[in-house]
Amino acid sequence: MSNTNRALNRLLLGLAGLLLVVAGAVTAAAGLMPGVASGWETAGTALTEHARAAVAAAPLPGPARSWWAVAYVAGLLLAAGLCVAWLASQGGGRTPRLAREEDSGQGATAVDAGLVDAAVAQALEGNLLVLGSAVTAWESRHGTGLRLRLQARKGASPRELADTAEDLIRGVDALLGRPVPVLVRITGGAKSRVAAPERAR
Amino acid sequence: MNQERSIRRVVRRETHSSRAAASILTAALLAAGLLWLAVEAVLALLRESPLLASPGQLGRWLTGLPANTVPAGLVAAGAGLAMLGLFLLGAALLGGRRPRRSLRSGRSAVVVDDAVIAAAVSRRARLAAGLTPGQVTTTVSGRSVRVQVRPTSGVPVDRDAVHGAVDRELHSYELDRPATPTVHVLKEGAVGQ
Repeated sequence: MSNTNRALNRLLLGLAGLLLVVAGAVTAAAGLMPGVASGWETAGTALTEHARAAVAAAPLPGPARSWWAVAYVAGLLLAAGLCVAWLASQGGGRTPRLAREEDSGQGATAVDAGLVDAAVAQALEGNLLVLGSAVTAWESRHGTGLRLRLQARKGASPRELADTAEDLIRGVDALLGRPVPVLVRITGGAKSRVAAPERAR
Repeated sequence: MNQERSIRRVVRRETHSSRAAASILTAALLAAGLLWLAVEAVLALLRESPLLASPGQLGRWLTGLPANTVPAGLVAAGAGLAMLGLFLLGAALLGGRRPRRSLRSGRSAVVVDDAVIAAAVSRRARLAAGLTPGQVTTTVSGRSVRVQVRPTSGVPVDRDAVHGAVDRELHSYELDRPATPTVHVLKEGAVGQ
C-alpha cells in the first residue's frame, strides 16, 4: 500500500539494464573480434585527448584549474543526488493518523490507527481462525486508507476470514462515522506454520 | 475516483511486486560509484594521491583494456555484464506477480496468500476423505490447484468426492483468478493412520 512510484522503478531499471547489456555486448565483442578491440583503443585514445584539450581550453584560476573539471564534478554529484532521490522514493506513506475532523472552531478530533488496531485485536480475542492481527494507516494522493492484516490459522477458510474482516470493518466504519478505503490482507507465515491446526469444530 | 476502481488499483498493487528491492540495490550501487568518481576527480584537481585510481589512470586503464586482457577474459566479463543487464531488464518488463490473489468482497479489497488457500483446500479435502493431517498436500500456482492425497493403506479414497468438495470450496472463495483443481491419489498408502 506504500507510495512507491512503480512506473519510475521499472523505467529506470530498464534503462540501467539496457546500458549494462550494451556494455556487456561491446566488451564481449572486443574479446571476439580484433576490429572491435582496435576500434575501442582508437576511441579511448581520442576521448582521452579530447578531455585533456577541453580541460586546457577553459582555464580557471585557483586549484580547480578548469571549468570543464568543475562541470565534470558537478555533473557527477548531480547524478549521484538523483540516485539518492530515487532511493528515497521507495516506500513511504505510512501514517499514525487515520482520520481527522475539524469541529468548526471548537477544536479537532484525530483518530490514530493504534486505536483501531487495539479495537480489532480485542474483537478478535478468542477467534480460533485468526492467530494475529495488525491495523496500519496509509496516506496517498487518493486519501488515507486502512490496511487490516489477519494471520490465518493453518487450514482456516479464506472466505470465513474475509467475512470476519467484513464484520470488523463494519465496526470500524461505525467507530469513525464514515467509510475509509480498506485493504484486507490474509496471510500465512511462520506463526501459521508452527501453530497447531484447528481440529474439532 | 470511484470505489470499484480504487479497490482494483489497491488489489493490483498488492498482488504485484513494486520492484523496490532491485531499485534500492541499483540506486545505491550507482550513487556509490558516481560519488567515488567525483571524489577521485576532486583529489586529482588538488594534486592529492588517489583513493584507488585517478581519472587519468582510469582512462588509460579503460583504453588499454582490450590489449591487456586475454580475449576469453573479455568475453567472460562481457557475458557477466550482459547477464546483470538482462536481469534488470527482466525486472523492468516482466509481470512480477506475487503468490497472492484477491477474493470478491463488496466493501473492501481482500488479498489472500496462496499458502492460506492451499492450507484451507488441504483441510477441506482431508475432511471429505476422512484422513489425518499430513496425508493431503496442496500446491496453488497460477491457474491450477494440485491436491495430492495419500490414502490410508487398505482404505480406498473416493477421488470424485474429494474433487467435488475441493471444487465447491474454491467456488465459495470467489477468487478473481479462478483456479481449477486436480486431485491425485497416490498408489502407496500410509500405514497405520
